[in-house]
Amino acid sequence: MLSVIRSEFRKLTTVRAPWLLLAAGPLLVVAGITGLVESGGNVHDPGTQRAALAHTGLAAVFTLIFGILAVAGEYRHSTITDTYLSSPRRGQVITAKLTVYALTGACAGLLSSGAALATTAAWWADRGGHLQLSAAGTWLTLLGGVAANCAFAAIGVGLGALIRNPAAAIAVALAWFAVIEGITGQLLGSALARWLPFYASEALSRSNLSATARLLPQWGGGLMLLGYAAVFATAAVFTTLRRDVT
Amino acid sequence: MAEIEVRGLSKTFGRVTAVRDVSFTAPEGKVTGLLGPNGSGKTTTLRILLGLVQATAGDALIGGARYERLARPRRVVGAMLESTGFHPGRRADDHLRVLADADGIPARRVDEVLDLAGLTGAARRPVRQFSLGMRQRLGLAAAMLGDPQMLVLDEPANGLDPGGTAWLRTTLRDLAREGRTIVVASHVLGEIARTADHVVIVSAGELRFAGPLSDIGQTHSALESAFLTLTTAPN
Repeated sequence: MLSVIRSEFRKLTTVRAPWLLLAAGPLLVVAGITGLVESGGNVHDPGTQRAALAHTGLAAVFTLIFGILAVAGEYRHSTITDTYLSSPRRGQVITAKLTVYALTGACAGLLSSGAALATTAAWWADRGGHLQLSAAGTWLTLLGGVAANCAFAAIGVGLGALIRNPAAAIAVALAWFAVIEGITGQLLGSALARWLPFYASEALSRSNLSATARLLPQWGGGLMLLGYAAVFATAAVFTTLRRDVT
Repeated sequence: MAEIEVRGLSKTFGRVTAVRDVSFTAPEGKVTGLLGPNGSGKTTTLRILLGLVQATAGDALIGGARYERLARPRRVVGAMLESTGFHPGRRADDHLRVLADADGIPARRVDEVLDLAGLTGAARRPVRQFSLGMRQRLGLAAAMLGDPQMLVLDEPANGLDPGGTAWLRTTLRDLAREGRTIVVASHVLGEIARTADHVVIVSAGELRFAGPLSDIGQTHSALESAFLTLTTAPN
């Protein structure tokens, strides 16, 4: 199992694309916080500080795509044949990918949270505000954001194993993110909508984009997202085990 | 025991029968040529043998075991399939290191197989810069990575220049002489006539012949006329 994990790490470190993708996370965070301040965010309001730091969670859209490419990318380049020739126990391959991608996703989230903290501190200093690290929720917001980055990388691995065409898998993920979950949420009503994955991730990373929604508590969002990751991972393992690779 | 054995193998994809009750043995120390027209079930048979496709019925065994049961598969059997791909941005040596890691093969073996395949000078180049022939050589290097007792190759001469084809022929003969079991699927009859000891001919998913090449003649033209007769004859 360790050798499969080592092989998966080497796959990641020997190509450039995944790192460019992950680098987009901190950039999004810097741009997002800058936009928040430039559009008139009040640096003296603790709510604005929380909203700024919560951008960490938004970077998870990139760890999601990163995760999707773990399996779907191997189908795209037909490297999956060699992967299964090395490790015919396919459950091990998916488990190794989940481990490696979730860990890397968490590290990317850590970088994004660092970028969020640094950018917020810089703007707050520039605008004469006072960054309150001790404020209730500062660290919980950052931690939740890191957890969301980690969870979405794992969800992506599962999704990419289920939909093996990377373009289709990314399209489905982004369409769900941008419109489908919102519409589903309206159809279900806010009491049920908060159980959906991106509402759960808003709760976890305290980004609260949809200010009107009744979100779960942060820990509840975290558990819910963990549940989604487990469901996708299990589905990925079971659909992968016996599927013909032609 | 290092033979490859296929017993009563069948595979249906939906309503299409790709392989029907095929049996043959590829003996140790011999090159066995697997011949058949396009779509005859050669590749499906090899994919079942390598655990990539599930058989509908029958067994395909490597040294008596199914591929999935092998603990370090690349050390037992090396494979190169037509559809094997490479990440275009990954260097050739890195590609091999990824595979070596998964099977616990020491890193120095990567340099050895690069040398064996004549790719030492191109080792640090990304695969997107490789010609078809170089990709074939990299695929062969990957197959040799675990220094396996058995080799399963699907159309290995595809894209090789005359020098490469001659190199491949010599390499396969040498490996067989060392006692290894080699299965080569191809429709380049001339190469098979010069390389194989045994031939297995399939058509429309069914076995038409399995036995020593000498039984049907060792020249290209003798093999060709036997192939054409066997693969077009009504069953």
